[in-house]
Formats: sequence, C-alpha cells, structure tokens
Amino acid sequence: MGLLDKLSGWLGLRKKEVNVLCLGLDNSGKTTIINQLKPANMQAQEIVPTIGFNIEKFKSSSLSFTVFDMSGQSRYRNLWEHYYKESHAIIFVIDSSDKLRMVVAKEELDTLLNHEDIRSKKIPVLFFANKMDLRDAMSSVKVTQMLCLENIKDKPWHICASNAIEGEGLQEGLDWLQEEQVFKTLSEI
Amino acid sequence: VSDVFIEETLRKWLDAHYDPVAGLYTFSSCVDLADLSGDGESRLVVGDLGSGSSGMKLKVYRGTALMSESTLLDLPAGLVAFFMDLHEPRIPAVAVASGPCVYVYKNLRPYFKFTLPGLEVNSLEQDVWQQAREGQIDPLTLKEMLEGVRKKADIPLSVRSLRFLSLETSDMDEFVQLHKQQPIRRQTVITCIGTLKKSTADEDGVSCLVIGTESSDVYVLDPEAFIILSKMSLPAAPTMMDVTGQFDVEFRITAACRNGNIYILRRESDKPKYCIELSSHPVGLVRVGKNVVVGCTDESLQGFTQKGKKLWRTILPAPITTMAAMDLPTRGFQAVLVGLANCEVQLYRDKNLLSTIKTPDVVTSICFGRYGREDGTLIMTTKGGGLIVKILKRTAAFDDKDSAPGPPLAQSVRLNVPKKTKLYVDQTLRERENGLAMHRAFQMDLSRLRLAAAKAYVKALESSLTPMSSSLTEPLKMNAVVQGLGPSFKLTLNVQNTAACRPVMNLAISFLYDESLYRMRNPYMKIPLLVPGLIYPVETFVECTSDKGISDIIKVFILHEGKSSPLLTAHINMPVSEGLTLN
Repeated sequence: MGLLDKLSGWLGLRKKEVNVLCLGLDNSGKTTIINQLKPANMQAQEIVPTIGFNIEKFKSSSLSFTVFDMSGQSRYRNLWEHYYKESHAIIFVIDSSDKLRMVVAKEELDTLLNHEDIRSKKIPVLFFANKMDLRDAMSSVKVTQMLCLENIKDKPWHICASNAIEGEGLQEGLDWLQEEQVFKTLSEI
Repeated sequence: VSDVFIEETLRKWLDAHYDPVAGLYTFSSCVDLADLSGDGESRLVVGDLGSGSSGMKLKVYRGTALMSESTLLDLPAGLVAFFMDLHEPRIPAVAVASGPCVYVYKNLRPYFKFTLPGLEVNSLEQDVWQQAREGQIDPLTLKEMLEGVRKKADIPLSVRSLRFLSLETSDMDEFVQLHKQQPIRRQTVITCIGTLKKSTADEDGVSCLVIGTESSDVYVLDPEAFIILSKMSLPAAPTMMDVTGQFDVEFRITAACRNGNIYILRRESDKPKYCIELSSHPVGLVRVGKNVVVGCTDESLQGFTQKGKKLWRTILPAPITTMAAMDLPTRGFQAVLVGLANCEVQLYRDKNLLSTIKTPDVVTSICFGRYGREDGTLIMTTKGGGLIVKILKRTAAFDDKDSAPGPPLAQSVRLNVPKKTKLYVDQTLRERENGLAMHRAFQMDLSRLRLAAAKAYVKALESSLTPMSSSLTEPLKMNAVVQGLGPSFKLTLNVQNTAACRPVMNLAISFLYDESLYRMRNPYMKIPLLVPGLIYPVETFVECTSDKGISDIIKVFILHEGKSSPLLTAHINMPVSEGLTLN
C-alpha cells in the first residue's frame, strides 16, 4: 500500500478495508449483533442459527468492514481457525446469561488466543457481554472475571455490555474498534 | 498418581458447575435430560428422594439454577421424559413412577395419574375381614385367623392385613373400625420404568412407557390413552431395565432381576427369550450399541451380546455405585460411565478404561447428554447431595490405549485356526460313538500297567535290586559316583546307615563286571562299622581295557557276611572311555 493510499485512508478520503472475525458460542448473538450494525434497510427480520458462516459488509465513518460471521455450533467451530490469518480484528460475543457454558466460552477463547496465527499478532479483540436485558445476566465485570480477560497482556481488548436485540452498547464497541484500527493505521505510517 | 488423574481429567472435561450443597439426593434412574420448554435448551429433571421419608420433590434445573420444584407424594422409583403426543410445539412429558402409580407431568403440571391394576386378593383373607365387619369376631381372633391365612396361603396378604398384624394390641380395635368398611385391595409397586418408541425410531417419536413391577411383571402402556398394550412376565422382580426398538416393529427389553439374572424379552413372546445367569447381583445395566454392559456387586464389569453371550469381564478398583451410558452420536462415540465408591467415575469402552474422573464425593447418579445447548454434558449428583456438571471438551479425544491396564491388544487378535480335517472329523466321530469301549480299554490297560509295575517293584525289593535297603536290621542307603574320562575311572560309593541308633557291622562290597572290558584292583572290599547317619565314601579304581569305545554296566552288591543274598544292588552305567590305555 503506497503512502498516498495510506494518507488518503487516514484522511478518510478512501475508507480502509478491515476484515473482522465474529466469534462466540452458538446462541450468543453474533448474527443479531452484525444484523444490528448493518444499515437499517439491509437488516434481516428473523435471525436463524448460522450454518457455516456468513459474510456481511458495512461501513462506518472511517472504515469499511468485512465481517465473517462464523457459526458458533460446536461442529462448525473448527472452521474458525482457517480465517485467523486474514483477520484484522476479532469480535468475541458472550451470552452473559449462560453461566454454565462460560467455561466453554473461556476454553474456546483460550484456544483462539493460543493459536499460532493469533498468538504473535497484536490484533484487537472486542468482547460483547451480550443479552444484558435478561434477568439472570451477569455484569460485564463478572464476565471479565470468569473469562480471565485481565490475563490478556499482549493484545488490545475491550469489553462492552450489550443488548443486541435493542442495539444497546454496540456502537460503543464499534467506536473502540474503529479507534484501534485508525491508531494502527497511523502507527503503520 | 492423583496429579496425573487431575491433569488427564482437565484435558478432557471442563468444570462447568459444582454445588456441594445442592441438596439433590437421587439415583441415575430418577434423572433425565429433556427440552421441557421447546426452546432448544435441555433441562435437568430430577426425582429427588429427599430424606427417604419426606421431602420428595420433582426438581427442574436450567443451567446452574433450580428452575422449578414440586412436591412428590411418594418416593420416586424412576423418572423418564417422553413424547406422549404429536402436538406442536414438541414438548416432552415427564413420568414419575412411585408406589403403584405413574404420575405424568406436562409443562411441569400434573396431567395424568396411572395406577397399576390390582392383584388377586386371597379369598380366605376376604372372608375373615367380612366376619370382622359383621362383628362376628374381635380383633384378637382376626389377628389369629390372618396369621393362619398368612402361613398357608399361596397368595400373599394385602398391605392392610400386614399392617394390622404388625400393630400393638391396643391399636388394633381402632384400626379395624377405621378400615373394615373398605374393600381389600392388593397392590404391587413399580420398581423401574423406561420408554419404548411406539412406531418410529425418530428422536422425538411418540413413546410408550414400560413399567417393571414388584410382582415380576412388565407392562407396556399406550402413551395417549394409558391403557396396557402388553403384559409380560419375568421369573423375578426386575430392578433395572433397558428398552430398545419400537413397539409396533420389534423391541427388546433387557431386565436385571432381583434373583441375580438378566432376562431378555422380545416382542413376540410374553416370556423371556434369553437369560443371563450372573455370578453376583447386578447393580448397573447399560446398553452400548447392540451389547449390554452389566456392573455386578463383585466389583466387576461384564459385557454381553443381546442374545446373552458373555463377551468380556473386567475387574474394577472399588464397588459400583451407579452406571450410565455416554453416547455422543455426533462423534460416533459410545462408552459406559461407572461411578465407584472410591470417589471416582471411570469411563469404559468395552473392557478398556479410557479415562478416570476424580470427584469430591461418592457419586450416586450419572446422566450424560445434551444439557442447555451443550451436547456432551456430564451431570452427576453425590451422596452428600452435591451437583457436579462437567462439559466434554470439543477437542477431547479418547484413546483406547491410555492408561488401560489388562491384557495387550494382541491378545484379542484372532488366531488363524486351520479348518477341521477329515481325519479330525472321523476321529471325533469315532470317539463319540465308541467312547464307552475306548474308556474301558484304556482303564484295562492302565490296570495292567499298574500291575506290571507293582510286580517289578516287588521283585526288585525281594532281590534287593534297589540302592535302598528296607530290611529292619540293616537299613542302608547307597549312591555311586563315577569320576574320570577314562580309561581309568574312580568309583566312589557313598554308603549310609539310615537307622536311628544301631550301628551295622560285618558288611562287604562286591562288584560284578565284564572282565573283558574292565579291570578292577580289588573287586571285594570290607566295609568298616557304619555309625548311623554318617556317609562313608568307599573308593576304588576301575580301568577300561577295551579301546573300542564301548561301555557296560558294573553291578555293585553290598553283602552281609554269611548271607548269600545281597542287601543292596546298584547298577552303575559306566561312561565311554575317552582315552587309550598306555601299554
């Protein structure tokens, strides 16, 4: 990428392309989150369990996102690692009301962070502690504790409490991701 | 060792939840997993036995939390979730067997109560109570008469009469007044319950209830009308059951019974088709594929085919507390989980130990299946009322070889046994047809052989041909040693007096040999007085005079002066001379 390209990207003349991997257990709300981030006229009315993966594209003020919305079902989770190489950011969605499977989420997260394509990369990870609207949902602080996120030292990360159905908390997370990407672009120049 | 266990367990299982004070007191037969809300999330349904006399509850867990509980009237003997109709949304009902009834819950609300048909009442018993009702006899006479009935009748007494017989004299009158108006009923109780698909093998197909009773019967109930579709009899009361197949097509009920046998019932017959006689009582019964795995009180795990043929047996480190199947159809994995009294849960595939899970307390119930949205969930309750939930890791792999003690795999490889030859078949036929004659001939020959041996022995004794003298006055023992390569040999005869205290005197040694072969310096020697117990070596030299490489026997006689027959005889096999005489 030439200096001019970068400059124009930074100045917002041409939006930078960013590949984002959206991961998390099944029924955590990945597709619902991505659906909410899409322009209003593109949103799907009904969300069904994802088979394999979906590719969604949308733009924010400075970036052009290509999101790989992976299926979270255990039989498709082995697909995740094939997309680690090309991704620039990871969104990890957690069902805050599913206390039982928090260990499974932690296990998958640890496997992800220890994968050779991710381990050495300083890739930003955005966590959505989703389903905050449910009565028995845990706070984002509690989710942070249960997933031992404080142990992630070598990657920028951020956790947002969210309610994907209403769209609450999603913009905050996206803003953080955008900041990280812009910062990264700046540091590359 | 425990570190290895913990590490190994951590590699395979995620600790999702542990509540040591959940207050769940139950057994594997009273635990099931089912999607009770139709939202794709399975709930844990538990028939809690409480303290055994009170606090019996039907509890439903969602995730880590208790979602609902309702009181049960009696101790649950078994609990199953099953689809009783085809209505949408597809929500299974829960059947709880306790006492003589099956309580069916739909949407966790009581829906239907099925009571087993009453048993035949003893007519004598009925007459006696009739008399009591009419006031013809007083309670004491009633008691006497009932005891008489109990002793001789082949139909047992009803629960009411038995209760009456156990009462103190002071309480009898009141009891009779209270109960005499009601008719006598004799009820059996349910010992185990299972489900059987009606006509389709689908996961959510409508299922019949299968009930085993204390009266040794097995009933199959229609899921909608709750009428008895089929009644089968067993030789003993069943304690555990496994049901497979479809009622309308073909099914198989494997029932472990209180007499220590396992019976296999099939569709076409109301009597058991096969029987497995165990050496000790069964405590766990699990079907894996087409085979049945049985845990016994002698700390063993045994595998049988569905026709009752024994496949294998393996020894466990501790008594079994409970057993459950581990079935993961998505990975094609089937195994048996065995809860042990030493706070371990072991996983077996056939006879091979795959993995061991250490638990903080003795496990009393195990259930493996889909819980919440996780397919491989292991749910255990402990003796102290704790609840343990573990989730199988996506990456966990079970290796047949890891830490499996016992015989090597090569042992189970079949040998290439050649086909039976015609000769073999002919011989077998001959043996089968003439077995009696062959045995007689053999016995006759054996007797002759024994006789010949005895004759030879007597002859040897009579002529003192043995190197042991059995005479009472001169009990002697001798052995001979030949030393040298030839042509000169040294002959050492060790003579011993084996008497307790009497010395032996006046003995001599004489040799008999072929003079053309051997030359001996002095073929006649006197033996000094033999003190009891000591070994006297008598040495002499023999020279071989032949150079043809042949050898012969030299006979040694121990003689008593003045007697012509020898006391002892020894035959010495001389070695071949390897050297030549220097002339």
